[in-house]
Amino acid sequence: MIPAIDRRSGETPLTLTQKLAPVRKTILACIQCGTCSGSCPNAAAMDATPRHLWRLLLTHNEEEIFKSRTFSLCSNCYSCTLRCPRGLPLTDAMSLLKQIAASENLVQYKQSVRFYKSFMESVRRHGRVREMEFMTLYFISMRSPVIPLKFTPLGMRLMAKRKVSMEIPSKGTQKLDALFRKAKEVEEQS
Amino acid sequence: MKPKIGRALVVGGGISGIRAALDLAETGYPVTLVDKAPHLGGILSQLDNQFPTNHCGMCKMLPLVERDAGSQYCLRKGLFHENIDIRTSTEVVGIEGEAGSFTVRLKKQPDFVNPETCIGCGECTNVCPVEVADDFNAGLGKRKAVYLPVPHMMPNTYVIDPAACTRCGECVGVCPTGAIGLFRQGRQDFSVLVVDDEYTVRDSIKEWLEEEGFSVETAASGEEALELLTRQTFKMVLLDIKMPGMDGVEVLKKTKEIFPEMAVVMMTAYATVETAVEAMKTGAMEYLMKPFDPEDLVSKVIAVYETQEASKGEQISAGTVIFCGGTSCYDPSVGKNTFGYKQYPDVVTGLEFERLISGTGPGSGGLVRPSDGKPVEKIAWIQCVGSRDLQSGSDYCSGICCMFAIKEAMLAKEHGPDNLEATIFYMDMRTPGKTFQRFRDRAETEYGVRFTRGRVHTVYQDDKTGKLLLSYPGDGSKRIESAFDMVVLSTGQKPASGAERLAEVGDCELNQWGFAATEPFSSAETKKAGIFLGGSFSGPRDIAESVISAGSASLLASVTLHATGGGMAEVVGDTPEYIDVSHQTPKVRVLLCECGSYGNVDLEIIAVSLKSDPAVEDVLTVPGVCTAEGWDALVKTAKRKGYNRLLLGACMPYAYTRRIKDLGAEVMLDPSLMDVVDIRTPWIISTDGIPNASATQQAIIRNLKSGVSRLIGIDPLPKSSVPVIRGALVVGGGVAGMTAALSIANHGYDVALVEKETGLGGNLDWLKNTIEGWDAAAFSENLQQRVEQHPKIGRHLNSTVISSFGEVGCFYTTIETREAAPVTLQHGVVIIATGGGEAGTEAYGYGKSPAVVTQKELEQKTFSKEIDYKTIDTVAMIQCVGSREEPRNYCSRVCCASTLKHILHMKKENPDLSIYVFYRDMMTYGFTETWFTEARRAGAVFIPYTVDARPEVMVEDGASGVSVTAYEPLLEARVQVNADLLVLATGIVPTLPVSLANAFGAGIDDDGFFMEAEPKWRPLDSLKEGVFACGIALGPRSITESVATAQAAAQRALRILSKTALSRASVTARVRHSLCSLCERCIDVCPYGARSVDIDMQRVLVNATMCQGCGNCASECPNSASVVDGFFDGRMLDMIDMVLD
Repeated sequence: MIPAIDRRSGETPLTLTQKLAPVRKTILACIQCGTCSGSCPNAAAMDATPRHLWRLLLTHNEEEIFKSRTFSLCSNCYSCTLRCPRGLPLTDAMSLLKQIAASENLVQYKQSVRFYKSFMESVRRHGRVREMEFMTLYFISMRSPVIPLKFTPLGMRLMAKRKVSMEIPSKGTQKLDALFRKAKEVEEQS
Repeated sequence: MKPKIGRALVVGGGISGIRAALDLAETGYPVTLVDKAPHLGGILSQLDNQFPTNHCGMCKMLPLVERDAGSQYCLRKGLFHENIDIRTSTEVVGIEGEAGSFTVRLKKQPDFVNPETCIGCGECTNVCPVEVADDFNAGLGKRKAVYLPVPHMMPNTYVIDPAACTRCGECVGVCPTGAIGLFRQGRQDFSVLVVDDEYTVRDSIKEWLEEEGFSVETAASGEEALELLTRQTFKMVLLDIKMPGMDGVEVLKKTKEIFPEMAVVMMTAYATVETAVEAMKTGAMEYLMKPFDPEDLVSKVIAVYETQEASKGEQISAGTVIFCGGTSCYDPSVGKNTFGYKQYPDVVTGLEFERLISGTGPGSGGLVRPSDGKPVEKIAWIQCVGSRDLQSGSDYCSGICCMFAIKEAMLAKEHGPDNLEATIFYMDMRTPGKTFQRFRDRAETEYGVRFTRGRVHTVYQDDKTGKLLLSYPGDGSKRIESAFDMVVLSTGQKPASGAERLAEVGDCELNQWGFAATEPFSSAETKKAGIFLGGSFSGPRDIAESVISAGSASLLASVTLHATGGGMAEVVGDTPEYIDVSHQTPKVRVLLCECGSYGNVDLEIIAVSLKSDPAVEDVLTVPGVCTAEGWDALVKTAKRKGYNRLLLGACMPYAYTRRIKDLGAEVMLDPSLMDVVDIRTPWIISTDGIPNASATQQAIIRNLKSGVSRLIGIDPLPKSSVPVIRGALVVGGGVAGMTAALSIANHGYDVALVEKETGLGGNLDWLKNTIEGWDAAAFSENLQQRVEQHPKIGRHLNSTVISSFGEVGCFYTTIETREAAPVTLQHGVVIIATGGGEAGTEAYGYGKSPAVVTQKELEQKTFSKEIDYKTIDTVAMIQCVGSREEPRNYCSRVCCASTLKHILHMKKENPDLSIYVFYRDMMTYGFTETWFTEARRAGAVFIPYTVDARPEVMVEDGASGVSVTAYEPLLEARVQVNADLLVLATGIVPTLPVSLANAFGAGIDDDGFFMEAEPKWRPLDSLKEGVFACGIALGPRSITESVATAQAAAQRALRILSKTALSRASVTARVRHSLCSLCERCIDVCPYGARSVDIDMQRVLVNATMCQGCGNCASECPNSASVVDGFFDGRMLDMIDMVLD
């Protein structure tokens, strides 16, 4: 089937289109030169290059974007932003996509969203990451017994090298709660 | 040529500066041409090959009529014209006044080498111990501090780079003619007063400075110093602070009261540093701590001397000023430098690549890797380095890099090994010119150059192999990495380094891209009346565009001179009259310059040997002809009668062109009967490094004898001339035709403007505004009014040209007007401005649905408000419909900009409108790139297609819209657009009738456009002199570009119209009819189209004004019937005999 790329024939849910509009806006001037894709250190692991992703966005293939894991693999190195001849804020656009994926609760990003959430939860509690707690929170949220097993060899090696501290999860000082509340407010407003 | 009233100043001696200066000089105005570099030619002096010929052709810019007024040799070597005063190493530091009467201040770098006496032997370079990067070879090689700025320059005068020179004085010692005045020149006049109470101090300073050539006076006390200061003039004072009686600070105060500008340097011991600081506040320039190094002191004095010398400006008056400041190249080493330029030696810029493969370059023309000298097998060109890059501050396209990269790739294929791979990485391959697309196609199909779409952002080096690694995105999601031996960065054009300062001096503005700003519809006009812009100073331009815009600037400058009291009136003065010597037997006087005795040559023996020829009347010697006294002596000697040919034996014949003319006027002998033979520069023959005097002597004798032979052979026929009818015919009343007509009529010459339609205006009838937002309709309206009201313009509407005959200076053209009897007009030149129109099409469903329109229809429907953009949802646009592929394989230049204009307009009307553009390469060259960015920002989606996979259009019966499907390479999928409106960019086709071109003897190219004599250097001329073209008749172009061509074509025409008669040059070809067998081979080989056959008279005719004396005909002619004046076979053989003797 030939995908229709104009809006009239689109069956994309309006909410998603609306949510993507601000991201689209930041990359409108893209000339498809591919500098971002050539620069991306994670491109090899991505199913679509960043250029491909921007192209999908510009041609209103909103649903296709969220079939790709490309943006969830962005490690915020800013190489593409630094080199883009149009000076587009590409790393920011990637982050926006991550946020949308999180707020939409899309199943294909569940793992990465929960990973981020567990990380931030640990930060909220203690002002830093406690690896043991962070991984525990992550494993619990994934509700899968397979995942901890997968991480066991790595965990063992890290523990042997004393890279992971053996602290028991706790509620922490909760000193950062106000900060996190404010951040959430700001996020909801935008 | 008699000079006309008024002077023009041209700033910048690159290609556009030379063009503008020659244009004005050829119409008769005196011109001052300045360049801050020590040579003319700008960047072109470094480029050996230009597309599409991959040769140089700069000399084709030289005057073709009245060519004896200028130099007639390689323009890359140098330029001479009797109306042009060339000032190199000179900058403009101030411009005051109004159009018609500017006062310009010039600042010249001091001449360390006297150009009058330097003989270019190069001894100085051999001994110079300083080595710096060679700018001429783009920094790839090394040169000395004393050097030849351009190796092929003529005269080959050496210059000193004051910044690099250490003043060691080695060169001064070896110069055989004492031309290097590193220290002495002018320093004698720079007197320094040294004030110190200690005798040893003041006396040793005096000694040091006198050794350096300065004049020094000393004073033992403050009182004595002040007394001396009132009696004598000093340029500088060295002042001790601690002195008995009046102390230094006191003396300083008093000195500054009398001479506030005096440069005073305080000398102090450690104890009085605070006082010294105090003295600085009072106005001392600096202070030196005792005890000081003699070198420190001397270099300080030299610095003061040089600053004062340099600030000595010269003032000239000029009626008009043209800035041809050019551009600079983007330097990839600044900023992020992800390409590793200057880090990896095998990463070079385009200019460096040109130098690498040049015969005069650092590698003498071989294509090898700069890092290790190994042959190159894989080269990559990376496009858009410093262009189309918002991050490096250039939201514009440099417009030239695509073409030069293609040319370089082809040259690499020619120079390199057979298996050489050349790849060009590009975003859009911009070939927006008449022949450019075919050139690109040839590179791809014939040469096998690979074109890869994708921007390469980084270059890494493989540590093991030393190769350069590039990674770039392939189609879809692939990323490709490949290794190359060499990477060439196609660096873009940036505003010239001095643009800001020059604009400030000229009181004109810079535009948002940093180039000099122009007025709407002009590439040359600035806000300031009387100041104009030529070439790429006002925006990136290639050679042809620079030549055109320089022509446009010179036309406007000429109008200014004309309107402010200068004009075509000639300066009162005598035309030199020459004695008729045609009936006399040749009597040659040989004058030998006495400095020829350099190299132990005996002039007596030479004289005796020459006198053995009975035609040699006498042989006389003069002392040092290059000095003023020597020249006076020569004139005196030459005034003694008794001869009718003059041969001068001296050095550097090229330096004498102007002097010989002056001499001719003085002694009333035609300058063509005088010649200069070089008896010095190249004739030091040595065996084992020891000059061989007798061999040298023999060589000199042979050359002089050959020179005598040539002079004997010159036929002193009086020069004939062709009268000029001082009126022009302009065919076509569009914007180009009207502009050309007004440009000529404003100089007071009659113009007949012929238009086949009922009204003037051409395409501006329907074209209402431009992408810049300028009102084209009002512009056209204004032009029409000015044409209608102009008393010198006769309009012939509803008229066509039916026939014409004649040659430059006098054409008879018959025109036919509807419902009237034909009339015959007489004119000296013709300008063809027949324009062009939008091409028709049957592709993409055109004609099958009202939703499919052409760009012209869209413009009309937009203007008439027939389309309401608020009521539609989706617009599709297809570029290059029928263009850039055979048979119409050229880019129409305007369609991409037009598309962007419409996008921005539609998006303004309805921001929610979806717009899809199917394109091959967006040709948004120059500043149009900014609107490309704007259109993307506005939300238009651009989808590339190739000729193998064009978009498909489906028109369904009864549907209001159409559907367009195409392959989207990034999504790797076919996509579909259901559009309410489909706009086709069909491009431009010429409307130049073949019969019209034939009537005037103008050529037509394969696409039906006017054929230029030379696409780069003579872009407006036809091969036939006196026939010019402008506007779209030449090739597709925008309104602004059409106006520029019209003005430049008018300037070409004014060259001829400004003269009452065109005199024949001294060297032209003739036909000896009695020997001619009418084989017509000479007609075929004449590169200037100067020959024709007269059927009635059974004769081959030569147009003496068009003939350039190249001699092709003479060497082709089997009967020796074709001859070139002064170069008859017999004489040529004699000359050769003499040299071989």
